[in-house]
Amino acid sequence: MMAETQQPRRTVGDITVPDPVMSCRGVNVRYGDKHAIRDFSLDIAHNEVIAMIGPSGCGKSTLLRCLNRLNDTIPGAVVTGTITLDGQDIYDRRQDVVQLRARVGMVFQKPNPFPKSIYENVAYGPRIHGLAADRAELDEIVQTSLQRAGLWEEVKDRLDQAGTALSGGQQQRLCIARTIAVSPEVILMDEPCSALDPIATARIEDLIDELRQNFTICIVTHSMQQAARVSQRTAYFHLGDLIEVGPTEMIFTNPRHRLTEDYLTGRFG
Amino acid sequence: MQTSTLILVLLVLSAVAWQLGRARAVRVAGGPRRKRELHSLPSYYGLLTAIWCGLPALAVVVGWHLLDDHIIQGLVVGAMPAEVQALEPGRLSLVINDVRNVIAGNVSADAVAPAVAAAAATWSRLESLSRLGATGLAFAVALAGGWFTLRRITPALRARNQVERVIERVLMGCSLIAILTTIGIVLSVLWESLQFFRMVPVTEFVFGTQWSPQLAIRADQVGSSGAFGAVPLFAGTLLISFIAMLIAVPVGLFSAIYLAEYASRGFRAVAKPTLEVLAGIPTVVYGFFAALTVAPLLRAAGEGIGLEVASESALAAGLVMGIMIIPFVSSLTDDMITAVPQSLRDGSYSLGATRSETIRRVVLRAALPGIVGGVLLAISRAVGETMIVVMAAGLSANLTANPFEAVTTVTVQIVTLLVGDQEFDSPKTLAAFALGLVLFLATLLLNIIALQVVRRYREQYE
Amino acid sequence: MNSQATPQAVIDAQARVRGCVERSLRRRYRAEQRFRAYGLGATLAGMLFVGLLFFSLISTGYSVFWQTRVTLDIDFEPEALQAGDYTALVRASLRRLFPDVTGRQNLRELYALVSDGAGFELQDRVLADPGLAGTRASLALLAADDLDQLVKGRLDRELPEGERVISDQQLAWLDELDRQDRVHLRFNRVFFTTGDSREPEQAGVWGAVVGSLLTLAVTLVLSFPIGVAAAVYLEEFAARNRLTDLIEVNINNLAAVPSIVFGLLGLAVFIQFFGVPRSAPLVGGLVLTLMTLPTIIIASRAAIKAVPPSIREAALGMGASQLQMVAHHVLPLALPGMLTGAIIGMARALGESAPLLMIGMVAFIADIPGSFTDPATVLPVQVYLWADSPERAFLERTSGAILVLLAFLLLMNAAAVILRQKFERRW
Repeated sequence: MMAETQQPRRTVGDITVPDPVMSCRGVNVRYGDKHAIRDFSLDIAHNEVIAMIGPSGCGKSTLLRCLNRLNDTIPGAVVTGTITLDGQDIYDRRQDVVQLRARVGMVFQKPNPFPKSIYENVAYGPRIHGLAADRAELDEIVQTSLQRAGLWEEVKDRLDQAGTALSGGQQQRLCIARTIAVSPEVILMDEPCSALDPIATARIEDLIDELRQNFTICIVTHSMQQAARVSQRTAYFHLGDLIEVGPTEMIFTNPRHRLTEDYLTGRFG
Repeated sequence: MQTSTLILVLLVLSAVAWQLGRARAVRVAGGPRRKRELHSLPSYYGLLTAIWCGLPALAVVVGWHLLDDHIIQGLVVGAMPAEVQALEPGRLSLVINDVRNVIAGNVSADAVAPAVAAAAATWSRLESLSRLGATGLAFAVALAGGWFTLRRITPALRARNQVERVIERVLMGCSLIAILTTIGIVLSVLWESLQFFRMVPVTEFVFGTQWSPQLAIRADQVGSSGAFGAVPLFAGTLLISFIAMLIAVPVGLFSAIYLAEYASRGFRAVAKPTLEVLAGIPTVVYGFFAALTVAPLLRAAGEGIGLEVASESALAAGLVMGIMIIPFVSSLTDDMITAVPQSLRDGSYSLGATRSETIRRVVLRAALPGIVGGVLLAISRAVGETMIVVMAAGLSANLTANPFEAVTTVTVQIVTLLVGDQEFDSPKTLAAFALGLVLFLATLLLNIIALQVVRRYREQYE
Repeated sequence: MNSQATPQAVIDAQARVRGCVERSLRRRYRAEQRFRAYGLGATLAGMLFVGLLFFSLISTGYSVFWQTRVTLDIDFEPEALQAGDYTALVRASLRRLFPDVTGRQNLRELYALVSDGAGFELQDRVLADPGLAGTRASLALLAADDLDQLVKGRLDRELPEGERVISDQQLAWLDELDRQDRVHLRFNRVFFTTGDSREPEQAGVWGAVVGSLLTLAVTLVLSFPIGVAAAVYLEEFAARNRLTDLIEVNINNLAAVPSIVFGLLGLAVFIQFFGVPRSAPLVGGLVLTLMTLPTIIIASRAAIKAVPPSIREAALGMGASQLQMVAHHVLPLALPGMLTGAIIGMARALGESAPLLMIGMVAFIADIPGSFTDPATVLPVQVYLWADSPERAFLERTSGAILVLLAFLLLMNAAAVILRQKFERRW
């Protein structure tokens, strides 16, 4: 409540990068009376993994959903400010939301494979966008995507089984395969490991590191260790404000803002 | 004593028993100050006494009342002259009807045959005897029950537990009525059907294509045996149900989708209750609507394009039945698609799917089993629907797939065969029960499959 | 910070996807529009059906609230009163109005302007006030149904005489009566106070309303306590075993068994076997009880389920027995939900007609039933009976009876909604 009345806090650290993929300037998000994100500005670079950390309810997931306009489906959500993808405002009238979401994919907290076969799950995106001219091409896309998601060896003999029949970690990798099947430029990950056990988590983290060669990844996580392991840059959120941003090792070894330090040392959150 | 008076008196007796039991409990405990000595509150002792006084006696009265008519009738018939007893069952029931009329005073005793008058006298005598017996027995049972319970009252008697056990049994008895109803349906329909199949072979009924159940009056008349081939009825039922589903499924499905996923709040606030109104309208109103408005409309439209539409066409009945089923399909669809988790929708949107792609390929796909189950239930409703077809479909058993012609259905024939005088020994009346058996079995099968499918689906997302 | 470059292959793939998506957009948005249009179309079609239904009912039924009456000067001649021939009084008055009408055929047409019921109306007046004998009074008497329909504009007077139920002569008389200001539309008291009749102008819904109320009373008295008891047993006492499962399967199936099958059950068991009188509200109520029980049990179970377990645990923790817990805590909290379910069940029973046809509630019954064993009919069956009648005037009565039926249903559903809103609790 108190934060609602205060002025937005100034962000500590450099929010800009050269040649960003995405760039946010002065973004505010409101749900009805709730001011979820306040005056947020940040650039996201090509082929980096940027982690967003902070106590729960601080607006990280909300922000993520703004980046591919998934907030559009929530009634009452109002987004102001500018967010650009390759220099184009994604909230512009001319920006097509279908096109945007094909370029900015998303992986969710809880694995959400469609109630279809493994093959159909991965083929879903290519099918709706008409990416494959024939079945052979589609087969190839599915295979490459599953390979890149590190799932191919485990499922290649049972592609027609239900995606929901896989284990939690496999489901989450299936969702990642599904996302990369449409070759997005940015992949948003909303606590992708919070529903998984440590072994499955480790596999996803390895996968993220591999994916970095081809994609930009923006990951929200509750786990500071995870942020430290997978990301190159880290942004710390507190009650709707972006408090501090910087190279991950710097944030973890030498935080400049007192709130960041308190959080990292476990004083709250 | 009249049964209603008797029951009233028994209730009063029970109230008295309650007082006595309570008072006795307090007394055996050693006065009001020592009520704590008792195992249960005094009122439980009263309740126990009242239950034992009232319940068995009430059971006696009800049982007696249910059976005495049969027994008396048997006795009276037994006492009648041999030639009357030798009559075939249909004639005999006419004689019994005469006897009843004399007793009721509708017919003067002088105006009937002496045998009937005598039987009426016997009947009245037996009836008053039976009433006397019922009253006596009921009182004896009530007093005995109350007295024995009073005698049993001691501080150690676990009155509350006993009362609760009785009440639990009563509750259980109430829930058993569901089973009894099913058994009642099966037995009554099956019994009469078996009698029917003794007169008409099952194969003729199931595979015959001629349906004209009106029996000839005289045995020597041409075509005296009615034809009981039910295939035209099955075909008619299926045709009308098919037309109904053709209306109800698309309209119900699409309107549910539109209202759940697309409609603005204001439009939904108007449209949803409006469509729900359809669910509350009695079927007889739909029947009237079909006959009054839809059938003439279709006929006029048919004439306009040079089509011959019967005034009682399958199309009119099916169309209106479809309208009736719309809210059923749409509310089930609505349940099913709201049960699909938001996360699946998010997953689809975040891949760049449009809204309709998400609905068609993900939401509907996920909800499909539930919707199929719902549609099966809807078919079972269409098959069993009566009033619309009685009022808007015809009586002529045409074996046709042409929706512009008149067809008849299983339910229409049940009604036609049973409304009016019923003789429980003519195949005409019994055929209705055979049709009822088919109807019951068909809907039962559909329901069981549908409920199973729907339950599976619900478990999937719970 | 990381600055490694994306492989060219990936960049190409991304560009290709952008191109594909771009190209597919038009087609996909058209599909989106189409899909949306189907949805809107279906919704509007459904609403159109509702509109059409109510339009056809109201447009044919609204006129039932008025009834044409013809004002005649009646001489209460003592001789005719003595003979009890009240129709003669009406006829005499008509002859006085049109003295030049002669010949049996013409006179019969003249007399046909006024309903046979007019005689009964006079009889009632005289019985109520014997002092009328020997006086002359100007009274508004019930017109015949055809005249009524003509006055209401439901018969076309421009048709050639052969196709009309009213002759040219009768039309002329009607115009003359009208000129003398003797023809009026009055509130149709007959419709709301009498039972069925073969003559449309004398037929009313009151008999059917009373029949429905008696039948529903039986249904409510039986099905509510039994339904609640069964629900309580299944939710609170029943052990999970084969019997309980069987009961549940039975309840769910019975809820979907066609209502006409219950009629067959009633006919075979209640009437044939137990000898309950046919056509009576008692047997109708019994059949409807069996039919509505599953609905009430299901609704009551839902209401009981909605009471949070914490309340049960609190009661049991205080040392209450299972039965005391249910009676003191669960039932009072679940009661509004159960009542709502019962009202909805009753509303369905009120609209039900198919099973009642089986048990003889379709007989023509002119008297208003006075007890549970009198022959009676119910509103929906009355609708069915009138819908079958050839007289044109019954059309408006059928719609009128439907409007009355719908009014009752509206009332019941409104009660259920209010009950739900007033007592609904969210835990």
